[in-house]
Amino acid sequence: MTPFLKNMAVVARRDFLAIVATPTFLLFLLAPLFMLGMSLVGGLGASQLADSARGAGRIVVVADAGDVAALRSADTRLRDALGGRGPATLDVRIASPKGDDPLVIAQEKGADTYAVMVGPLAAPRIVEREEGSRAGRYLVLLAEEVLRDRAAGAVPPVAPHFESIRSGGTSIAVQQSMGFGAVFAIFLMTLLLAGQTVSSLAEEKGNKVIEILAAAVPLESVFLGKLLGMLGVAVLFIAFWLAMAAGGGLIAATQIDPATLSAAGAGKPVAAMLAVPATGWGFFVGICFVYFIMAFLLLGAVFLGVGAQAGTVREIQMLSLPITIFQVGMFSLSSAAASAPGGPLARFAEIFPFSSPFAMAARAATDDAKAVHLLALGWQLLWVALVIFLSVRMFRAGVLSGKAGWKFWKRRQRA
Amino acid sequence: MRADSASGDQRLTDYCVEARGLTKYFDEFKAVDHVDLEVPVGSIYGVLGPNGAGKTTSLRMTLGIIDPDEGTSRLFGSHKPQSVRHRIGYLPEERGLYPGMKAREAIAFMGALRGLDWGEGRRRAATFMAELGLERVIDEKIRKMSKGMAQMVQLIGSIVHAPDLIVLDEPFSGLDPVNQERLETLVRRERDRGATILFSTHVMAHAERLCDRLAIIARSQRRFEGTVDEARALLPMQVRYAPRTGADDGVIAALLPADAQRRGDAWHFAIDDAGVEPLLARITASGHGVAGLSIARPGLHDAFVHIVRQVDAGFAADAAEEAAAEASA
Repeated sequence: MTPFLKNMAVVARRDFLAIVATPTFLLFLLAPLFMLGMSLVGGLGASQLADSARGAGRIVVVADAGDVAALRSADTRLRDALGGRGPATLDVRIASPKGDDPLVIAQEKGADTYAVMVGPLAAPRIVEREEGSRAGRYLVLLAEEVLRDRAAGAVPPVAPHFESIRSGGTSIAVQQSMGFGAVFAIFLMTLLLAGQTVSSLAEEKGNKVIEILAAAVPLESVFLGKLLGMLGVAVLFIAFWLAMAAGGGLIAATQIDPATLSAAGAGKPVAAMLAVPATGWGFFVGICFVYFIMAFLLLGAVFLGVGAQAGTVREIQMLSLPITIFQVGMFSLSSAAASAPGGPLARFAEIFPFSSPFAMAARAATDDAKAVHLLALGWQLLWVALVIFLSVRMFRAGVLSGKAGWKFWKRRQRA
Repeated sequence: MRADSASGDQRLTDYCVEARGLTKYFDEFKAVDHVDLEVPVGSIYGVLGPNGAGKTTSLRMTLGIIDPDEGTSRLFGSHKPQSVRHRIGYLPEERGLYPGMKAREAIAFMGALRGLDWGEGRRRAATFMAELGLERVIDEKIRKMSKGMAQMVQLIGSIVHAPDLIVLDEPFSGLDPVNQERLETLVRRERDRGATILFSTHVMAHAERLCDRLAIIARSQRRFEGTVDEARALLPMQVRYAPRTGADDGVIAALLPADAQRRGDAWHFAIDDAGVEPLLARITASGHGVAGLSIARPGLHDAFVHIVRQVDAGFAADAAEEAAAEASA
């Protein structure tokens, strides 16, 4: 272990034990009771998001240019006839000379595609998400309606060739909900845990230990050590509640009569449980945890740096509001990104360092690309280092030099 | 000669600390003005000065805790204080310990910061505490200790890793006489072990007893550098003379130097380079005799006060000159 890491570990160890070995840590551990209320709010948000994503579903027809107007007109008539209860919005595209692959269209990102129809209207090829789906039958009706409209006499029945999508089977809406869930969970954890870093240097400044630390070890290792100490507390907190939840679940499973469970329908698989994030459950859960750590380190580093400049407890208290607003801002940005994966807003949220962990966690739910996460983690780590570096510079130039905390930038006026 | 070959920027040197032209501004105030410090390896070096003279800021710049606005500093020949941190022990002026920590843990923690193994730190903590008669509080939390005890704990923490350079900023303040004596013993013992000790103080008695060399800082600048004897030699010998006869003050004063002052039944004055013999000849010839006579070299305290007063007088004269110039303008 290098001296830098060793120093960091010494500071982290001290901070971790100083927090955990106190009675107030028990109160801290029980704080998640508030989480239940917040979870309800989050659940509502996810539900609304899923609803909105469902509204973004579509059926696609790829037709000759001459058929486009007729298809749209027929769609309007049919929807009127069905009382406005058509399967999803119709997206009519002009066939390209090179040919269109309905499977590719069906798996385009950004919307749920229930069915795609290509080829001649009399004998179309229809690719549908679920075999015998309403969307597929609707496309047959649509083709018949166009042919009937054109023909003078009787029209032979349409002879469709149906195929179902075999891959990418989980609904985009469900995956987006998972993405939002990841964003919300990481936000909630960082809101509860990362904000505390703002006051973590207050102790050293108050009891003057900071000068001993500054003389003994690089300030970068002090800042990083404090951050990692707090992260250790956060991970312990999460592990505690996961263990409690698992234990509670096990106890419940052994206490409840199986017949009662069966009667309540618990034996049936829940649809959401069957859904799979784009990257798979194992990777998704793992990467979400890693992104929580990155979110904690990134936001924690900012709060630590800002808090280090505060001269009094009152200033630290005053900082809690802008810090919460900053976190909510990152949550909002990432939530918006989760509802429109692949869009410019999502790209921005993925690149902007302080929303990147949230947005990338959401991306892991809807995009199966995995290598991009390595890139994102490297980018985020770079920003953690940059924030720590700047925080230390500000601290050395301002607080340690005895200048007014917030006026580290003030130009020196020599006599 | 010492050098650490681990770092490329280090060079052989006879000095543990070499600071050149250290200057620091706090807004408009020039807290330290081109101060030089050269601390020989293995010595006890005192930085003396009145309150606010710039001692602490100079030490902090030397250790790399704050950056100087001008000047350079080398520790063990290295421009990078961080590269030799493990060889340094530091007791800051503002004492700081985690109140919730036990003494043993606090000492081990401070040692661990300088690279000492935790277990070894705890073991050495017990040894040091026993030597200083503090073994009964080794497992007490810092918050339960008296200020003096906590200060001793912090002092042990700053030397527990057996550093080559020990920097103590006002180490004696806040200690009772018994603990001051213990601290002096500890400082000498560390020097005998081979460590270099650099400490600041404004209490001359400690400096006089401990220092091999010293620097006096006043009004942000170094005003003196040398040994204690060299500092004392700045002032002439002081004479106390009591005449045997009850002669008039005017008659006696005529025999003595112009600055002679009567306090009680004795006259006090300094003697010049000519020495005391011509004076004794005059007194003998006058017939006033000698009821009492003592000749003493001034102490460090007197030398310090003399230097500081000279500096203050210079500042007052400059200020008066500036005021007169402004008034005439």
